[in-house]
Amino acid sequence: MDETPNIRTFVLKPEQEIPFLAGQFVELTVPGFGEAPFTPSSSHFRRETFEMTIMKVGRATGALFSLQPGDVVGARGPFGTPYPLQRFEGKDIYIVGGGVGLAPLRALFLALTHEPDKYGRIFLRYGARTPQDIVYRSLIPEWQKIPKVDLDLSVDVSDEKWMKRVGVVTCLMDDIPCDEKKSIAVVCGPPIMMKFVNQRLVDAGFQAENIYLSMETNMSCGVGQCRHCRLGPYLTCKDGPVLTWAQIKDIENPFV
Amino acid sequence: MSRYLLAKSSVHQWLSKLLARYTVYVPTERDGQTHWHLLDPRDLEETPDRVAPAQRRIRASEPVKSFMFQPRQRVAGFPEPLPLPESAPRLLLGVKNCDLAALRVHDKILGEGEFKDPFYVSLRESTKLVVADCPAPEQSCFCNLLGLTPFAKEGGDAALSVIDGDWIFEVGQTGQELVDTAPELFTRLAGETTETKKRDEERSAAVAALNMTNARPWNPDLPGAIAAKLADDSFWRKHAKTCVECYGCLMGCPTCYCFLLYDQAKEKGLDRTRVWDACYEAAYARVGGGANPRAEFIRRFANRFDCKWNQFKRDHGVYSCTGCGRCFKACMGKIDIRTVLGEL
Repeated sequence: MDETPNIRTFVLKPEQEIPFLAGQFVELTVPGFGEAPFTPSSSHFRRETFEMTIMKVGRATGALFSLQPGDVVGARGPFGTPYPLQRFEGKDIYIVGGGVGLAPLRALFLALTHEPDKYGRIFLRYGARTPQDIVYRSLIPEWQKIPKVDLDLSVDVSDEKWMKRVGVVTCLMDDIPCDEKKSIAVVCGPPIMMKFVNQRLVDAGFQAENIYLSMETNMSCGVGQCRHCRLGPYLTCKDGPVLTWAQIKDIENPFV
Repeated sequence: MSRYLLAKSSVHQWLSKLLARYTVYVPTERDGQTHWHLLDPRDLEETPDRVAPAQRRIRASEPVKSFMFQPRQRVAGFPEPLPLPESAPRLLLGVKNCDLAALRVHDKILGEGEFKDPFYVSLRESTKLVVADCPAPEQSCFCNLLGLTPFAKEGGDAALSVIDGDWIFEVGQTGQELVDTAPELFTRLAGETTETKKRDEERSAAVAALNMTNARPWNPDLPGAIAAKLADDSFWRKHAKTCVECYGCLMGCPTCYCFLLYDQAKEKGLDRTRVWDACYEAAYARVGGGANPRAEFIRRFANRFDCKWNQFKRDHGVYSCTGCGRCFKACMGKIDIRTVLGEL
């Protein structure tokens, strides 16, 4: 399904179930074109099929977009460290997404709302470039109806029909309606957005170990050997891709 | 541990016996350098005379990783899966202690981790290693700065010292079969002998020579010193200014193991191949969307030092360096890492 002109959600039916948990990733192969890492965007409570929402940016993703329903792709995984959901229990969760970065956050969002009694309130703040660039447009109205969910959107550039906020996603963060000292923040989006959202969260009083950031690096082998994804002392394919601000704050320029 | 002497005159016979059981590689001298040579029954007549002197030279130009972690390896196929690798018995007769230490680095990553690389493990397990003393370290050698000795203290299947043309072996349990290929050729040595005394003198002299060449130890907290300098571009610029980005230092390095996976389409399905990669490559850390944390070469240059002498030490307790000197022997810009690390 096309989410935006260059972002599409693919539904995959694995021959052999891939037992992923929210936050983990899968290496997807387009036969003959190469392999690239993607995080499932569907709920880990359902694995007979899973979804990946992917932006067309390069060779492998370009080839992926030219596939037809029923075509065969390869998948290896799951890899990486999932969100530590046990740590999230009983706490408010403040999720901030930008652009296609909402895709991995959706897997988390669905895992949290699947067992709403375990967690506090769930805040979702999402920013896209324009109203046409919003992913999961048809699902968002449903999500807004879920009890304990508080959802708000912004776009950088509006059109005449847009009724919500205009501005980068941090404009939704002037008032953070949860206890910053105790709550969990989760962020995924382009590097520049991550940088400013993280700064805003730190300024607001979120604890460094409670800010979870999806770090995009070149994860190739997935098993901590090829070393392409090294970020300071971490191999994001094993230690991440989600790392806390406490883990990475001493790394020079982590959001590049 | 047993000690044996193989007389100069018997080396030739032993090599021919070994060939019946192993694919044998020996160091030989060519153009003033030592190179690994596949021992062929046809050249047995002349080879032994070339092998003995080469055993006393420093490590071969080619890093030993080439034998286990091959430059190009087909690692997967679809739809027909790749059969699990099977390797025939091999013998590397005359690795040096710096190379043995390098293999221990690869063992940690490819052989012992959570995910064991089946290709590496197969080649590693089927390969016997005879570690030869290094009695004549050169100016490029600095294993002493890494806490290593120019002879094997442990590891390998047998230790070899060539003394006046005779071959002295110290053989552990796993190396006994090498002697057993032709037991009649070996004389068991008990206690101190003239040969072992001479060997010990040579070993001490080699250690002394290394300590002379590399007299000043590195900063004992090298990892901390690198971390503190990481953002200091002027420091790295100063040392990188003659680098031409040829990657010779990385290809020749016995411990570097970065790799790249790439796919090739077949009529139906695909082949996946693993090749050595180089962290100096501009696109090395680039992600699909185009972002590149090390787009500038100077960041990649600093990253190499951060990786090998900081992070690897912190993660695995050893430096990803064994003092073999291949990196700056290969360097067209004559960048000696001892100078860089010595200033930290």
